[in-house]
Amino acid sequence: MPSHDAQRASAERAGDPDALAGSPGRRMSRRSVLQGAATAGAVGLAATALGAAVSPASAATRPSSPRGAANAASGPLVVHVRNAKSGDIEVFHGTSKTRVRDKDLAARIARAIG
Amino acid sequence: MSSHREAPEISKNPVADSTDLYAFVSPDKPDTVTLIANYIPLESPAGGPNFYEFGDDVLYEIHIDTKGESEPDISYQFRFQTQLPNPDTFLYNTGPITSLTSSAWNRRQTYSVTRVDGSGVHELGSGLICPPCNIGPLSTPDYASALAGPAVHELSDGSVVFAGQRAEGFYVDLGSIFDLLDLRPFQNLQVYAKALGLQAAPGVNTTAFVNVHSIALQVPISKVTASARPVIGVWTTASRQQACILDSDTGQPVYSGPYTQVSRLGDPLINEVIIPLGKKDYWNTQQPGFDKQFAQYYAHPEVSGLLPALYPGVFPNLAALDKAGTVRADIEAILLTGIPTGIIPGFTNFTGPVQADLLRLNTSIAPAANPNILGLLGGDAAGFPNGRRVFDDIVSIELRALAGLTVPLVDKSFTPDAAAGELTDGLTPADLGTPYLDVFPYLGVPYDGFDHPS
Repeated sequence: MPSHDAQRASAERAGDPDALAGSPGRRMSRRSVLQGAATAGAVGLAATALGAAVSPASAATRPSSPRGAANAASGPLVVHVRNAKSGDIEVFHGTSKTRVRDKDLAARIARAIG
Repeated sequence: MSSHREAPEISKNPVADSTDLYAFVSPDKPDTVTLIANYIPLESPAGGPNFYEFGDDVLYEIHIDTKGESEPDISYQFRFQTQLPNPDTFLYNTGPITSLTSSAWNRRQTYSVTRVDGSGVHELGSGLICPPCNIGPLSTPDYASALAGPAVHELSDGSVVFAGQRAEGFYVDLGSIFDLLDLRPFQNLQVYAKALGLQAAPGVNTTAFVNVHSIALQVPISKVTASARPVIGVWTTASRQQACILDSDTGQPVYSGPYTQVSRLGDPLINEVIIPLGKKDYWNTQQPGFDKQFAQYYAHPEVSGLLPALYPGVFPNLAALDKAGTVRADIEAILLTGIPTGIIPGFTNFTGPVQADLLRLNTSIAPAANPNILGLLGGDAAGFPNGRRVFDDIVSIELRALAGLTVPLVDKSFTPDAAAGELTDGLTPADLGTPYLDVFPYLGVPYDGFDHPS
């Protein structure tokens, strides 16, 4: 069973519509879609990193877990800095996306690209 | 076309481009519904050496609303995987492909089918093989019986599925429609053609010798309807993962993140001719349940305004309707909610008040013994807009409706222009290059590249 299906089914059972917002075509609550539409309009500075691990400083903004570490090691991460000034960052991995706000990480990525 | 290359972004993304959607009670198995979602527009049969295939990176889905809320109560998901047994040859096949297990076949696809419904996620089949593309009589001999037939698979719930190349079944004179709606049978009346002295002429089927890739599913009606609700709403979507990196080290794309919808299709020709250019890409990302935001384009269809301008004096009643700013409640009903009970005696495909682009099928209506390609307009309640059969003349039906023929459904005082009942691009199924099948998957055997080189 694909992992995102499992996540979707789990979210449905848990009655968490926002957890389903990334699932196309199905079980999207009106609220989650409207939220998605709103955020899609945000102006972003795009920077991507293939195979890069989120730095310890960034990780500090989210609870770390052995499972998260295993996932990070199992495939590439794609990091999208939507707004370097506010530190709005999306991290894509597998079939999931995590949104973090980390001004320090965004600033260091911006410095890294010159 | 129905939905081929209908929006700027998806026109650059053909493996995810939904082209046609069909939903009908199976004529040879009337206790089942057949759902067909076509992808990859305008395949040239000789388009090798990399012949057409589904996207391994695309999530294809067929959704069904069973409760009238324009939400997907059931979704069938299709995921494809490509195998390349011998990477050291440029050849698609190294000899005749005589069966689906032929070692001469070097680029093959398998897929899985998953049903997602209120009871959970159910894998109905995996490792299901697609047939090869129809290359030519030497490479793919006996295509229909040796390759396409065995690619019809039974799923664990008793449904049957086919995914692979088919002959394009949608007939349309694209050249005339996109040349300022110069319908050849009426070009002596079209303002620019008339000025050039052009005479009426037969239609030309642009899609007569191209192929498409079909995902076809035949399911017992009982598995796709809710209790006491025979009307279902169907749509298809294609989704891609949000992040894609082009890895310069390997030359391969790397995908990551959740899937996001890039294409959808319910009723034919909606994103094609109802939705304006500036909204088409956005429309493709939206869920049908939010289509109220597009209702203004159904209420005042652009084509309805164009017809009197392009055919001066031919549509005076339609012109008056347009000039008065009349809301086209008939189009809204047919395409956004379904037709409620009481409008057409003995018929309804109403799903509820939520405005949504769904292909609505009343599964309680039996297949017609003598089908009319004009569907409901031709007195055949088993055809479009009650679902859509492969042979339905979608272009003529929608042209006539947009020209005002269906206004009397909501306004008995309106008299349609005589031309509204005659509009057509001049084509019928007789203009196809190969016939439909009488049995699943109903769309014809794909054209082979050798005999259809251009």
